[in-house]
Amino acid sequence: MRKFTYLVPKTLNEAISMHTSYDGRTRYIAGGTDVLVKLKEGKIGPDYLVSLKHIICQDQPFLNTETGELYIGAFMTHRSIERSSLVEHQYPILHDAVKNIGSVQIRNVATIGGNLVNAVPSADGAIPLIALDGKARIYGPKGDRLIDLARFFLGPGQCEIQGAEILTEIIIPRLEPRTGSAYIKHGRREAMELPMLGVGILLSLDPDMATCAKARICLGVAAPTPFRALAAEAYLRGKSVTEDSLTEAGKIAAGESRVRDSIRGVAWYRREMVGVLVKRMGLLALERARNMELNM
Amino acid sequence: MPDLHTVGKRIPKIDAADKATGRARYIQDLALPGMLHGRILYSKYAHARIVKINTEKARALPGVRAVLTGDDIPDIKMGVYKDNRPLKKDKVCSYRDEVAAVAAVDPQTAREALKLIEVAYEPLTAIFDPEAAMREGSPLVHAGNKTNVLRMPWKLHYGDVDAARRAADFTVSERFSTTWVTHCCMGTSGAIAEFDPANHLTVYSNTQIPSLAQKDFLEALSVMGLKERRVRVIKPCIGGGFGSKLDTYAYEYIAILLSYHTRRPVKIEFDRTEEFLATSPRQPTVTYITQGCDRNGKLLFRDIRMILDNGAYTSWGATTPSVMMMPITTLYRVPNVRFEAKCVYTNNTYSQAMRGYGNPQATFAIESTIDMLAEAAGIAPIEFRRINANQPGDVSTQGLRITTCGLTECMDTVKARLEWDKPKASGEGVGCASLIHVGGGARVYKSDGCGTIIKMDDYGKIDLFTGATDMGQGSETVIAQIVAEELGLNVDDIHVIHSDTDICPWDVGAHASRTTFVAGNAARGAAMKIKARVLELGAKELNAPLEKLVLHRRHIQHLDDPETKIEIGKLLRKTHFNHGGQMLMAECFYDPANENMGMDFRGNMSMTYTFGTHGVRVQVDEETGKVKILNYVAAHDVGRAINPMLLEGQVYGGVMMGVGYALSEQVLLEKGETMNPNFRDYKILTAKDVIPIEAPVLETHDPDGPYGAKGIGEPGCVPTAPAIANAIYNAVGVRIKDLPITPERVLAAIREKKGLDLCGRKREADPGEACVIEE
Amino acid sequence: MSRDITFTFNGNLLTLTVEDHWTLLHLIREELGYTGTKEGCGSGECGACTVIVDGAAVNSCLYLAAEINGRSLVTIEGLAAADGTLHPIQRAFVDHGGIQCGFCSPGMIMSAKALLDENSHAAEPEILEAIAGNLCRCTGYVQIIESIKAVSGGEPEGPRVVAWRGDDPHPRS
Repeated sequence: MRKFTYLVPKTLNEAISMHTSYDGRTRYIAGGTDVLVKLKEGKIGPDYLVSLKHIICQDQPFLNTETGELYIGAFMTHRSIERSSLVEHQYPILHDAVKNIGSVQIRNVATIGGNLVNAVPSADGAIPLIALDGKARIYGPKGDRLIDLARFFLGPGQCEIQGAEILTEIIIPRLEPRTGSAYIKHGRREAMELPMLGVGILLSLDPDMATCAKARICLGVAAPTPFRALAAEAYLRGKSVTEDSLTEAGKIAAGESRVRDSIRGVAWYRREMVGVLVKRMGLLALERARNMELNM
Repeated sequence: MPDLHTVGKRIPKIDAADKATGRARYIQDLALPGMLHGRILYSKYAHARIVKINTEKARALPGVRAVLTGDDIPDIKMGVYKDNRPLKKDKVCSYRDEVAAVAAVDPQTAREALKLIEVAYEPLTAIFDPEAAMREGSPLVHAGNKTNVLRMPWKLHYGDVDAARRAADFTVSERFSTTWVTHCCMGTSGAIAEFDPANHLTVYSNTQIPSLAQKDFLEALSVMGLKERRVRVIKPCIGGGFGSKLDTYAYEYIAILLSYHTRRPVKIEFDRTEEFLATSPRQPTVTYITQGCDRNGKLLFRDIRMILDNGAYTSWGATTPSVMMMPITTLYRVPNVRFEAKCVYTNNTYSQAMRGYGNPQATFAIESTIDMLAEAAGIAPIEFRRINANQPGDVSTQGLRITTCGLTECMDTVKARLEWDKPKASGEGVGCASLIHVGGGARVYKSDGCGTIIKMDDYGKIDLFTGATDMGQGSETVIAQIVAEELGLNVDDIHVIHSDTDICPWDVGAHASRTTFVAGNAARGAAMKIKARVLELGAKELNAPLEKLVLHRRHIQHLDDPETKIEIGKLLRKTHFNHGGQMLMAECFYDPANENMGMDFRGNMSMTYTFGTHGVRVQVDEETGKVKILNYVAAHDVGRAINPMLLEGQVYGGVMMGVGYALSEQVLLEKGETMNPNFRDYKILTAKDVIPIEAPVLETHDPDGPYGAKGIGEPGCVPTAPAIANAIYNAVGVRIKDLPITPERVLAAIREKKGLDLCGRKREADPGEACVIEE
Repeated sequence: MSRDITFTFNGNLLTLTVEDHWTLLHLIREELGYTGTKEGCGSGECGACTVIVDGAAVNSCLYLAAEINGRSLVTIEGLAAADGTLHPIQRAFVDHGGIQCGFCSPGMIMSAKALLDENSHAAEPEILEAIAGNLCRCTGYVQIIESIKAVSGGEPEGPRVVAWRGDDPHPRS
């Protein structure tokens, strides 16, 4: 591996000033499972690696009971999110996604923030967070800013983070009552897969526990960046959530996707799977919403 | 057969503790004093003229000790057809062609040096499709040839296929294709070469063929002007073989050449990307097959034409039709057989042996069409196979002599254990496929032999030197069990030494599922000689008749009077520490009485044949095309299980490799370039993909095998793909004829069957019109 | 740049100087000379280099050596007892056929250890999850899973059947 100097700041400001003072020759590194692979492959060649691993921050997803907001530190490992019973029970869509990223070894070190800023179309972490209407908190030389995760991704490998900025936190707004959610990674194997397609869906129901009050459908690898299938969401709103309506929503979502052929899958198949998996995840989300209500 | 105390037992592998503790040393773990690190520069084109190579900058890099190109080396020839050389000169014929190599003080410097080598190419028209490459006027991979078709006349016709075809009540004709798959040994390739001052050479290498590699390297030395020198090949632990290490490769010769130029030990170790790009996969095939039967389901003929993508150079991959002939002529009783195979040069990577040696490709076509034929004849799949099953005493048209054969019993076992007739859910199906494979050696070389030397110490402990090569399958354990059984010793008493040509006798190599049979017989032969001597000495010492003595639990004892006995060590010490003392040693070279193929390809290539039937229950997701394996039964007639635990390990591992072959694995070559040289996109199965599998063992006690054993290394992956394809057909009525059976292919076939296009819409008047996907 | 680090290596405190760009795998194999930890791919896709850092299984090929400062590292060499007695997981892999070529074995065993240290009665789904990142080409995983189950208390499953023998007058199939 190419030589570099490893810098270990203790605070965000320290990290930013290190990044700024070696402008252009620096990369941030957190878990390092993506950065080190790129370094080894010679795709990047920074002189300095600024570690975000030792910056003091929360180590568990945290729910503000007053506002209902969920805070997920960007430097949290997938493993710590996977093991949060709060996430498992109330945000199953996120649990579904993080528990199937890479291997245990990868999840023990790789961070959710790293997964997001890497901005590959196949980032499993992004889909549920967008479906949950998450916001990214970005800290930079000019201070803090918040941006909708839905607008965070600009293209393959490109996101909103500029220069010395650091993604510090993801904030999930209060869940609507009677909400269920689910995510599926579609691949060929049961593990160690990058998704051929990722489908996340969140459904909030009316008090009748049948009518869709709100739907958010987010798709990964169905376009250059993760995106919301807005037309499909709009179709579902106010309708009874059934296999038929979800099938129709799936077809609409398939129509909204901009799939293409790659070595991991062909376009027609990806498009067809959008339809199938929106339906299946919709049914699972519905079941989860109902179970949650029963257990309340 | 009397009670056996060691054979048939689940004895742990002798080397397992070393491997469990990290003590076992692989090529990656070896370093010699002063060792340099070599690295290879590969071609940037699938087919190009090398115009100029400038190595000046690389040579000038501090730490670089040697830079070699094709012009710097003598004309060492490699490959079955001697059509390859370690570093290419004038022309490259595939992306993996070795263009230059460096030796440097550390791996990083070697990598840097490669970047400084400038190569000017003049691209040539390349050809990647073997069927296109066969046509007249196609660009030639090797300019000196008249055609891209290899001059190996794989062609046989036994009986009269045309007449049989006219007589058949049912016939099925189909085209099948298989794809590139690769071994994926967890330990990557590597070698260290070192010359002594007299230019004797030692090579530490990942190889399955120490003796043949020694011969290859001796020839190379001779070309280098180093005649009459010695070569020692040492094989450290290897991280898997599966056929990938059946030949000598450019990197080994390059290590030798770099070492010769630098007078230092040179190591070349592949990284994972290189392992994918520059090792030789299983070759893809296109098979045109017709089979026919009479109205009672009796097979009348089999007619097969096959095209193999050989890639740019020849290795053993080019000879796989020799093994394909076995299932083609002899899987089931077939009175009339015609087979023709053409191996074709292309500008793809070149192919090699891989577990099964052509048998999986042939069996995929045969067993898929057997199912189709059974359906056409209105006979249940297993019943149809029973009607045609091989039986003990059969001699097939090719002259293969079936001695023991438990094929019918394998089918019955599969049917029972899979609960074949149990009601099925929607999308659920069962399927099966059978196999024949060499189980008693395979005479593909001038000798199929293996040597063994045994020396016994003063305590009854044994050092056993075998030609057999272990690559993880557990051959040393099986050999130790056989010898311990023969001599009434414990397995712990047997120290098996292997994989060093200075110490061990000759062996043709670890291939063809031959080691238990051939090396086992050689070891048993040497043990029997020692045993005779020990009993002779014991008879004298105990004053008892020879024929009444046995070796049992480390004692020589009287059969009728167990109190008349002597501990073996005591007897040996008496023999040794005496005037005119003796140490006991014995040797045996066992070369089975199997036959090389004649001009018409007839000949009994193996002493015995292993049979098996695999059955599988699948669940097909009709919306996604995904295939889930609910249950898998792999029944084999193995003669005898010397060590059931290791045997099951071979079957489980083989089946999982076969499932990968069937469903998930594919080297994606795009115009000759490997698009997925990593475990991310080359999808070998993970622990979460593991399937419920049973491996019932059927023992037919082969008269020629050591304690009745036949070989079982390869069969696990042979009939897996057709068994799965047949189950998918049973489940959803679609026949997938191309590997791998991806969800895309299954879903497309389901849609086609329902008269829908790929987008699930009713096909219009023109069924050929594809659905338009707007981007 | 180089820096001094202190960490616990297989139970012993160790202080040494590392280069910033070294991976943990490089430190273990090339600098410390412990070659039980293997490199199978160098990119976190095979698990052969798995070691345990502060109780968690990690790929040492994607972990910077500098980051081990102040932590505890256990490699395959740290499992057996001082007198050489195999760790129960190592013993189980030996006894149940969990090892063939052996190249994946150290990493596989470390993943199993990280799991069982945390959950000594892990059931099959947890076992599969724990070793999903450790590729094996020889065994088909069956006997590896049996080996781990033998330690976690789950009955080793898997058939032990001999269906029929040539000298058996009453075939059982």
